[in-house]
Amino acid sequence: MKLKALALVAALAGFATTAQAEGQLKIGTEGAYPPWSMADANGTVTGFDADVGALLCAKLDMECVFVVQAFDGLIPALQAKQFDIIISGMSITADRKKEINFSIGYAELANKVVVAKSSDLAKITDIPALLTALGGHSVGVQAGTTHAHFMEKLAPTATLKSYGTLDEMQIDLATGRVDAGFADASALQNFLDKPEGADFQFVDLNITSSYDPTLGEGIGVGIRQDDTALKAKIDTALCELIADGSIKASSEKWFKMDISRPCQ
Amino acid sequence: MEFGLMQLWEGGWVGAILRGACVTVAVGVASMIFGLIIGTICGLIKWRGIVGLSQLVDFYTSVVRGVPELLIIYLLFFGSIEFVKSVATAFGFGDLADAGYPFLITVVAISAISGAYSTEVVRGALAAIPKGHIEAAMALGLPSRRIFARIIAPQMLRIAFPGINNVWQTTIKDTALVSVVGLQELMRTASIGAGSTRNPLIFYAIAALVYLMITLVSQIGFNRVASLITPAKRS
Amino acid sequence: MELIQLAVPVLIQGLWMTLTLTVLSVAVGFNLGLGLALMRGSGNALISGFARYYSFAFRGTPLLVQLFLIYYGLGQIKLVHDIAPLWWVISEGSRCAVLALALNTAAYTSEILRGGLNAVPIGLVEAAKACGMSRVMRFRRIEFPLAIRQALPAYGNELVLMVKGTSLASTITVLEITGYAKRLMSQTFAIFEVFAIAGMLYLVLNLALIGAIRMVERRLMRHTRPAV
Repeated sequence: MKLKALALVAALAGFATTAQAEGQLKIGTEGAYPPWSMADANGTVTGFDADVGALLCAKLDMECVFVVQAFDGLIPALQAKQFDIIISGMSITADRKKEINFSIGYAELANKVVVAKSSDLAKITDIPALLTALGGHSVGVQAGTTHAHFMEKLAPTATLKSYGTLDEMQIDLATGRVDAGFADASALQNFLDKPEGADFQFVDLNITSSYDPTLGEGIGVGIRQDDTALKAKIDTALCELIADGSIKASSEKWFKMDISRPCQ
Repeated sequence: MEFGLMQLWEGGWVGAILRGACVTVAVGVASMIFGLIIGTICGLIKWRGIVGLSQLVDFYTSVVRGVPELLIIYLLFFGSIEFVKSVATAFGFGDLADAGYPFLITVVAISAISGAYSTEVVRGALAAIPKGHIEAAMALGLPSRRIFARIIAPQMLRIAFPGINNVWQTTIKDTALVSVVGLQELMRTASIGAGSTRNPLIFYAIAALVYLMITLVSQIGFNRVASLITPAKRS
Repeated sequence: MELIQLAVPVLIQGLWMTLTLTVLSVAVGFNLGLGLALMRGSGNALISGFARYYSFAFRGTPLLVQLFLIYYGLGQIKLVHDIAPLWWVISEGSRCAVLALALNTAAYTSEILRGGLNAVPIGLVEAAKACGMSRVMRFRRIEFPLAIRQALPAYGNELVLMVKGTSLASTITVLEITGYAKRLMSQTFAIFEVFAIAGMLYLVLNLALIGAIRMVERRLMRHTRPAV
């Protein structure tokens, strides 16, 4: 019976496996964060993250394989060697650096708050005022993100609602269960462009990482701490890609603006 | 609703949902089998009252029955990564561990949960076997292995059967919880579909229907088998 | 350890929410379940059929699916938005969770109570009829108390499952023990420690619950104990 069980599990695990081949780069991504990372019904990943991944693989001359994973499980899964790197719009933060290493930052997040057009928060013009005004309102964020940590730290009087995915947060924003949503501008723009986002708008304030360190130091590729050789290769490749403008081109394609960072 | 069933078909979601359902059943079956193995061993330990091991089994079943399954799954998924990998390698699943990690961790978690409930069922069934049968067999001088194979095991399986059915129903429903760690089974597929099409009602309703079908079909199956193995009541 | 000093007060906050969710959903769910159990016993095919299919639907699908269906699925329907009391329930994660948990436990409770009611010795029921007791009085004085006593062990099990079920509310933004545990974990990355503390909280809660049930059982069965 045990042999059959073994065979059964082995066969069934084929559903979720891809054999590790030479020259293959396995990339962990969320797949539920448009326009950064979207997975369709067949599991094909598209979006800015997918493009950056493809560019990297071409530079490193390896085959790209994307593994879709819930966002707050990306770091443990990387540590468990489920994949080799993380490309999922993940910000470089001091807390995360304790667990994994990052490449150089290749993109900058512009974070914005989204509210209903009729909301009293819509016309606020400076960040401290906004943070105070959020007290007594409910704010939606994605669990485990820098946006969640930012709100926990800087708007403690607001009712914070954490969601597993940005989609769930946006559904609740549209139905009116939360008064505001906080995430990066590109992902939220995606929401505003959809029909259900018609009654919503940005609060016209750009909250960048220079405002508070919880927001991190830019977007980087997540790498295991002992993979120093890989990090060196990726850093070089990223610098080249930034220099020749491919990241900028990809960024303009998905976000209609250039969010690439200069190579340091 | 602008989103109709036609778009469901065109978006390829029907295929995705069916694939998700297959993964759900796969996880359920695998976990049930491992859970039964664990349950039989632990049930026997408790029935025999082996000192030390019995207390360990008690601790195990108390923890699993007292702590929410969601917490156990989070713990296993985010926490003891190395532990699970070493367990997997010990059982010869080392390579599988690297490749199908979400599937593996899911099966480990659900098997652990299922096994605790199976332990109680097996223990209850063993206790329900008339002592007289075993004593008669011993009086006849039968070796213990044969007593187990001919007297204890068949009766235990028959008495435990309805309980095993309950454990199966619980197990297959618990598989929905692993969606929170990202395994592409039925519930997660429904979530992704709901999020990307902004139509949670259709997707979760369909998921509910599919689960209902799975439980219905397995209930019918169990009833069939039950009628086969339960001898007709003597008048 | 400073982690414990940080984690414990936060998780205790979650404990209040867990208790609130449990108490409210059991209160509503028990009464619903009782109603369903009575409906099952009814002669009317429509009524007993409804109870049967309700039980089948809620016991045959995972609680998580029911939760999401009610929170996200119902939240999508415009009609729900318009009916104020309905929207009051659906708009907030914790109230939605109480609804879903109550509906779920009602199904299981109805099965348990049905078993209890069926186990009442028929002789007692007939004696009550012979005494001229009305239907309602018979139920209140004879059938119901005896059914409860019979069903208590099984219902105790269901109560523990309810407490565990509240942890699912964390998936729809509710901050109970599991919700706070997830937040702590993403802040500190001290995964094992945080979940271990949370697990212990639940264990203590459930052990206390089982202990309380056993005490009630002993009290109800005290007439069967040998005279001192």
